[in-house]
Amino acid sequence: MEPPAGQHRPHAPPPSLWPVGFAVGIAVLLTGVILGWVVVAIGALLTAIFGFLWVRDVTGGLRTVPDVEPERREVAPPAAPIRADEGGAGMVASSESEIERFPRSKFLEGATLGLGAAIGGVVTAPVLGFAVLPAFRGGEHEEVDVGAVDDFPEKEWMITTFRLDPDLGDVTARTAYVRNNGMLDGRPSFTIVSNRCVHLGCPVQPNGPAEDKGTQFDNKGRPNQVIRVPTKPAGFGCPCHGGQYDTEGNPTAGPPVRALDRFEFSIRGGRLFIGKPYSVGGVRGEAADAVIRRYDHVLPGVHVEGPSALMYPLEPPR
Amino acid sequence: MAVRSPLEQRRAQHQRYKEDVQRTGKPFYPWAMFHDTVMSLVVVSVIVALACIWYFTSGESPGEPGLLGPRFTSEADPGTTSFIPRPDWYFYFLFYLLRIFKWPESVILGTVGIPTILLLLMLALPFLDVRRERRLLRRPVAVVAAILVVLSMGILTYKGATTEESLGGDEALIEEWMEANNLPEEARAGAVLYAETGCQQCHLYLGAGSANLGAPELTAIGAEGGKGVDYFARYIGNPRQFGNTVMPIYGESLSEENLRQMGIFLDASKGPGGGG
Amino acid sequence: MPRAKSARRQQIERAVLYPLDWLEERSGLIGGVKYFIFRKVPQDIGWPQTLGSATLTAFIVQAVTGAILAMYYKPHPETAYESIRYITNDLTLGWLVRGMHRWGASVFIILMFFHMARVFLYGAYKYPRELNWIIGVLLLALGMFEGFTGYLLPWDQTSYWASVVGININGTAPFLGPFLAQFLQGGAEIGADTISRFYALHMLLLPGALFALIGLHLYLVIRLGVTSPPWSPEAAGRDRAEVAPTTNGRAGLVRPGSRGGLTRTGVRK
Repeated sequence: MEPPAGQHRPHAPPPSLWPVGFAVGIAVLLTGVILGWVVVAIGALLTAIFGFLWVRDVTGGLRTVPDVEPERREVAPPAAPIRADEGGAGMVASSESEIERFPRSKFLEGATLGLGAAIGGVVTAPVLGFAVLPAFRGGEHEEVDVGAVDDFPEKEWMITTFRLDPDLGDVTARTAYVRNNGMLDGRPSFTIVSNRCVHLGCPVQPNGPAEDKGTQFDNKGRPNQVIRVPTKPAGFGCPCHGGQYDTEGNPTAGPPVRALDRFEFSIRGGRLFIGKPYSVGGVRGEAADAVIRRYDHVLPGVHVEGPSALMYPLEPPR
Repeated sequence: MAVRSPLEQRRAQHQRYKEDVQRTGKPFYPWAMFHDTVMSLVVVSVIVALACIWYFTSGESPGEPGLLGPRFTSEADPGTTSFIPRPDWYFYFLFYLLRIFKWPESVILGTVGIPTILLLLMLALPFLDVRRERRLLRRPVAVVAAILVVLSMGILTYKGATTEESLGGDEALIEEWMEANNLPEEARAGAVLYAETGCQQCHLYLGAGSANLGAPELTAIGAEGGKGVDYFARYIGNPRQFGNTVMPIYGESLSEENLRQMGIFLDASKGPGGGG
Repeated sequence: MPRAKSARRQQIERAVLYPLDWLEERSGLIGGVKYFIFRKVPQDIGWPQTLGSATLTAFIVQAVTGAILAMYYKPHPETAYESIRYITNDLTLGWLVRGMHRWGASVFIILMFFHMARVFLYGAYKYPRELNWIIGVLLLALGMFEGFTGYLLPWDQTSYWASVVGININGTAPFLGPFLAQFLQGGAEIGADTISRFYALHMLLLPGALFALIGLHLYLVIRLGVTSPPWSPEAAGRDRAEVAPTTNGRAGLVRPGSRGGLTRTGVRK
């Protein structure tokens, strides 16, 4: 317990500014260790001078008795003794009379709440924005080279595994079932079906033997590693919840909500490039003659046609 | 005694509870805390035991699972065409729910509909059941609801856990079939083809495969009379000729030889104990 | 006190008590802990009421093992799988800590369900404990979300595809579903941002929320009291007059007869 004010002569030394100079001196001295010996010397000098002055000040009290009146203050009697085990010492709710003495100020209340809200807003808005917005930016990929057109024999399916973004590595690996449909009006036609189930995104498998399991083509010398395995599917099936598709990707059984997604493609210099994915409502006809009801790329499980499509009026930018 | 409002009755009841506990209750420490500590010891022991069993019965690679499964499966491959995804066990009920809702328009019921309804029901429970009665035998609705929930969750979890879809060329499975169904050696090629071609996506064979798409089970298809190797080969080659408009046509993707092998396999399949 | 303590003993006692008194005077914590430990609970609670504290134990195991695993785990698609392999196969005792975290998750979820079933069967969600039931349901949902986010982290095939399906399940919700899914995976595709996002949720946000809600849950348990079993004579949903006039059926069979005598017979109205 501190002694009540005024009962003892104060021992405390008089206020002094010298310690500040002393501290500056030490700071200069330490800085000098980095900058050079001259600065060290200056620092040492400052430290010594201010140290001496400080010590003189402190010991001055012992040498002469100060001619100062001891400070006295009125001590208000405590309202009621607070027992330590009651806890909450010092946290006394304001009583009625105090509320009268300090009428609530509309201005102070408004200012406190307003400032608090401002602080909250300044902190929350950027954080929330940072958490949410980046997820809806980017996502554009360059077209991906998956090999020479000649590597895809006509009327044959190839399980083609490639990287959407070669720079990002295996995490962007995707598989498409690629079939060279031959020429349509003098231009090559390909069917490129994504292997992500449009129910909930599981990897769709070909319903048929994958021939020559050992033969894998590496796209040597290209940044994007591509693996192609020939297969002979009679359709595609999903091992998760049993969705079934025909060879054009139309759903034939189970829960899939639309046809399998497809990829755009282009052919440059005799090589096949896989481009953006898009969603498909359904396909009429086959192979090169197929008529595709095309939609923007959406998530698996999202209806694009029929009354159920009304549940998904807005699509996030991808 | 004056008639009191339900709220007053509940307040009075809680007041009585507090008085009773003050009068006859026992201090939390050590009476109840002892039970808690023993129980916690059991919990920690079980956790450590599970970890030990899991580790010591398994090998270092994903291919060496122990009693509690492998330490990890192979590294994530977003481009796989052969992996069969399964959730952790406590999502099995949801997994199987998704298999039950096999019509496109009903997908949303399994994914968000039923889980949301369940969550809302749970949140609203204290406001749906506001009676003071807590004795089980006088809460028939609650008892029935509890039994139904436990039963359905149990069945869904069990079905989810036992759903088998095998991969093409899983040799252990082929061996199992050869053994269990007493298949002759010349049916092996057809069995491998059956597994590789994705027949199990729709058909059930000796418990493996999918049973929820309406396709018949093929375990004992050869035991039905009036068919034969040729019949099966032609059927698989073009189901349309037999009035089947659902099954894919395999005549283009499978060779004559392959179709005949499948025919031999199916013809030899006469069910466990029924073979030759 | 029959006998005065020796001076030395008194000295030791003072030395022991001083830091406690010091803490109590400045914080009131000792009194709070004393209240928590020595508060009265109904006399006929038993093993079923330990499920809540067992769940808490499992959660603490998860928190501790998880914090240590974070020292070695590297949340990036290129490194996550390798670090898990390294923790499990190579690091001293890594298998044990990861095994405890992995299986502790299952135990935690099972115990939450058991605890919930007990509360339901005892009718312990009724007045005045409705709010605590709601907090409990939120804890269950958060706990399962914690399981979902943690499942991705090993970055093996099972975890990757389970997360694909889980995210797409959220994506099928009407109207805002696709936005929710894309927010969860942190972009148009599952990638490096997804794994670090799940890691942050799993490590910081969800455990923080769980800790806060568990604190609230416990506070309400202490404030409202542990529910007595429905068969207990103590306010088990009936007025006192309804209680069998002599004793509850089990007294005398399993336990000594009611010591309370008249006070438990419900003679008072």
